[in-house]
Amino acid sequence: MAKPKLALYWAASCGGCDVAVLDTNEKILDIANLADIVFWPIAVDFKYHHVRAMEDKSIDLCLFNGAIRSTEQEEIARLLRDKSKVMVAFGACACFGGIPALANFANREEIFQTVYHELPSNSNDSGTTPLTKTEVAEGELELPELFDTVLTLEQVVPVEYFVPGCPPPVDLILKLVDLFASGQLPAVGSVIASDKTLCDECERIKEEKKITKLYRPHEIIPDPNKCLLEQGIICCGPATRGGCGLRCIEANMPCRGCFGPPPGVTDQGAKLVSAIASIYQGDNEDDIKRMVEEMVDPAGTFYRFGLADSMMKRKRLHKR
Amino acid sequence: MEKISIDPITRLEGHGKIEIFLNGDGDVENAYLQIPELRGFERFCEGRPVEELPRIVTRLCGV
Repeated sequence: MAKPKLALYWAASCGGCDVAVLDTNEKILDIANLADIVFWPIAVDFKYHHVRAMEDKSIDLCLFNGAIRSTEQEEIARLLRDKSKVMVAFGACACFGGIPALANFANREEIFQTVYHELPSNSNDSGTTPLTKTEVAEGELELPELFDTVLTLEQVVPVEYFVPGCPPPVDLILKLVDLFASGQLPAVGSVIASDKTLCDECERIKEEKKITKLYRPHEIIPDPNKCLLEQGIICCGPATRGGCGLRCIEANMPCRGCFGPPPGVTDQGAKLVSAIASIYQGDNEDDIKRMVEEMVDPAGTFYRFGLADSMMKRKRLHKR
Repeated sequence: MEKISIDPITRLEGHGKIEIFLNGDGDVENAYLQIPELRGFERFCEGRPVEELPRIVTRLCGV
């Protein structure tokens, strides 16, 4: 019997999800034994025209990482969707927008302004910004068009499974591979991670304490045995799905939410505001005002990985 | 002029394509490397607390 076909792709991403697959170490050989890799730009030399030539639904499993923020990424997402039986949103960017979705606090024009006009390291006397079509002496060059708004994979094409994380941890990657290999993939729409919150999995001591002050890292040395939030350090654990292996917590660093919202939560940031508000203790209005000011960059913290997937999705778009 | 597209370029970190233009003799007249990708870190790092940047800019490149 022919081996199943596996495709991996990166859209707006950093390559960390691809490296996470390689981080399976010698198990990568099991994956290669299990399936034929038919597309994986970071590691294997197949082109888009090879994928276009494939029959529909001829790829058995597609692990798609990265957010969607250009016409090319949207086109490849649709192409791989057509060619794949099972599409997996692989990693925080594909699942929730991830770090690239922080760009939803701006629009394309503002990003171009900063990147191509204002940066002190720029040398761009002609004021060029990327164009979808450029005439050169030999002919025409084309670039994809950037969107104003970064999208999740599921906002572009139907997705069967979600593997969260920035990047997904090796044990969850191998779990997905095992479920696929044994024909035991769960119900469509499942998230391959824990069904608990990160707080439920965290073994730090929680004393149901109220907090009266928020601390930035230079203001406090966190006790490694106690709940970070109860020490006044913003931690996204109450509003984040578990299954990550507590990688940040064990490094005495607060969670930033890369596993997305836990089951039953629609908006990770709103859940986090609610969780923090419930332990915030101010005696009077001035106290509460002070504490709100102590919270630096709430939007960029509560929606660090999930802005594209949130209810607001982006900062309001003002277009001329 | 005949155009050969290498799209995407593979086995490296990052996104790119190469357009090669051939002249009438079939020789390379010119070639262009294009980067069809921009995420805008330069913009969205603005407004983030400085202590958070090590956890944001590590996502520039995860390779």
